[in-house]
Amino acid sequence: MTIEKALADKALTLKISGRIDSKTAPELEKTVQDALDSITCLVFDFDDVVYISSAGLRILLIAQKKMNSRGEMKVINVNNDIMEIFEVTGFTDILTIG
Amino acid sequence: MNKDTNEKSRSGKKQLSISRKALITTLMSCIIFGLVSQIIALAFYGVSLTNQYIDFATSVALQAQQSAVKGTDAAGLSNDVMEIYRSLSDEERQKTGTAGYRALYSDLTKEKGGSYDVLWHMLKGVLSFNNIYDVYIAMYDRDTEAIVYIVDPLVDGDSDMMPGDWEHADSREINTFMNGYVDDLPRYFSWTKQYGLLCTVAIPIRNEARDFCSFLFVDVSAKEIIYSMLRFSLQYTLALLIVTLLIAWLGTRRIRRTLVAPINRIAKAAQEYVKDRQEHSDNKDHFASLNIRTGDELENLSLAMADMERELMEYEDHLTTITAEKERIGTELMLATKIQAAMLPHSFPPFPDRNEFDIYATMEPAREVGGDFYDFFLIDEDHLGLVMADVSGKGIPAALFMMISKTILQSCAMLGRSSAEILSKTNEAICSKNQADMFVTVWFGILEISTGIVTAANAGHEYPAVCRADGSFELMKDKHGLVIGGMDGINYKEYQIQLFEGDKIFVYTDGITEATDRDEVLFGTDRMLEALNSEPAASPEQILKNVRDAVRVFVKESEQFDDMTMMCIEYKGNSEKRRSE
Repeated sequence: MTIEKALADKALTLKISGRIDSKTAPELEKTVQDALDSITCLVFDFDDVVYISSAGLRILLIAQKKMNSRGEMKVINVNNDIMEIFEVTGFTDILTIG
Repeated sequence: MNKDTNEKSRSGKKQLSISRKALITTLMSCIIFGLVSQIIALAFYGVSLTNQYIDFATSVALQAQQSAVKGTDAAGLSNDVMEIYRSLSDEERQKTGTAGYRALYSDLTKEKGGSYDVLWHMLKGVLSFNNIYDVYIAMYDRDTEAIVYIVDPLVDGDSDMMPGDWEHADSREINTFMNGYVDDLPRYFSWTKQYGLLCTVAIPIRNEARDFCSFLFVDVSAKEIIYSMLRFSLQYTLALLIVTLLIAWLGTRRIRRTLVAPINRIAKAAQEYVKDRQEHSDNKDHFASLNIRTGDELENLSLAMADMERELMEYEDHLTTITAEKERIGTELMLATKIQAAMLPHSFPPFPDRNEFDIYATMEPAREVGGDFYDFFLIDEDHLGLVMADVSGKGIPAALFMMISKTILQSCAMLGRSSAEILSKTNEAICSKNQADMFVTVWFGILEISTGIVTAANAGHEYPAVCRADGSFELMKDKHGLVIGGMDGINYKEYQIQLFEGDKIFVYTDGITEATDRDEVLFGTDRMLEALNSEPAASPEQILKNVRDAVRVFVKESEQFDDMTMMCIEYKGNSEKRRSE
């Protein structure tokens, strides 16, 4: 998994490639935790994400809960496989996907 | 014991070897140095000695020549002899040395107090008082290639030379002689059978008109030079031998003291270190107590060994602690595995007196403990609660969260509410204490045993697979709510499945569908359905076995990455109801 960070003012875009699983999730969690306090808009670009495990979903959940009180969070370019995971886990109900 | 002796003999050999090497090196260098220096010294010595002899011969020759020229008519005598010599025929000359031949010159020799007599006595005196081989006057004759003796005082048996006696001297010898004369007084070395190596110096004798009349020769035997040089060599070699042995002895002793002894001490310390470790002795300062102060690499070595000893000791202590800790954790984990397994219903059939349904379930954690769980329990006589759940993450955190989730879920279920209500209540309870932001996906169903109606709700869990009697398993895309523990205040939707006799429901966790092979390919729902439908009519236990086998074949030697949990229930119908119908 690789993470590309793009910070514009208070909006952070994280472009993630590869698998987000229990091995790679801690790195993503740290990136997100470090950034959360100073931004008002968080965008996850999932164009190149091939898989997300429950450990990855947990990070989205944490970020979503934090951003609910700080501004907005979006997950963009979600492919079909990942979308199915979001649907199965009910994450489509809480995430802003677009 | 045997090994110990081997080591000792090995180290003994090493000690000999270093000393011997040093000894050989010292001896070799001393000998080479000695030989080279001896050659150089001999050369200098020889040259200087030769020069000394030549100088000596020259000074004797000069003195004799002066006496001969000033005190007698050497030139005249020479000319007289040569005159007679040249007047003779070859035949007559061949008789040289004979009385007849010598009689030809008797006019010149017979006169007492004549030139010859005076010269002979004068030269005889010179010969007696100096350490020379011979002093004589002679002249060469180019035409006949001969040296013609004028006066020779040497009385030496047969080789006495009288005036006019001659010896053959080829032109080469004469040339050599004359060439030597170009820059300086003529001198040359010659090897004669009779006299050995001779050094000859010649001084010309001229008449008043400065013509060459003859030469005054002085022969010095080079024997002396050779003997001197041999003597010098012998003495030098002896001295060299003594010095070499002394240096070798001192050098070896020094190497033994500064090199071999410390190495042996280090080796001994190493042996004792190993021995003590084998015997579990507490002596910890084998290398630290060596105290080698050679100020060179050996001291560094001993210090490095002491460091190593200390590091090893610390590492070992550390390792012992870690091992103990690991063992403790291992024991605890083993217990945890047992506790967790015991938490899940694990004796089948679970309700031997209920024949309306057949149920089978398995849970295989990827590690000692897992986050997956299944559960089933009778809420009342007619209602069977069914749970399949998957906690995010793995290992101990997941296991702890699983225990809580399972307990809360069952407690809520026992209150007799609907499936959706139970999930909502459980979510609320878990969200209120969820510090670690973990969550659990749950499929929860309540089977009304009398009617076969399953009322289910899905909190972010995999789609269940449903199989109608005589049909095949198909995924049922049911309504999904958010995972439990994700967010507060979620309402779940419930749905119903009507089961008839022989119908089955299969629920599972993503450990099955996301099992990966070596090339990171997922097992997937298609392969799972294929495995389910290989024997759709089989018992729940066999169906679970089929799926597990298919996964095993698929992943081959790849490590199990996630917990794998499955549950299958077959509805056998309400026998009482059927009877009453």
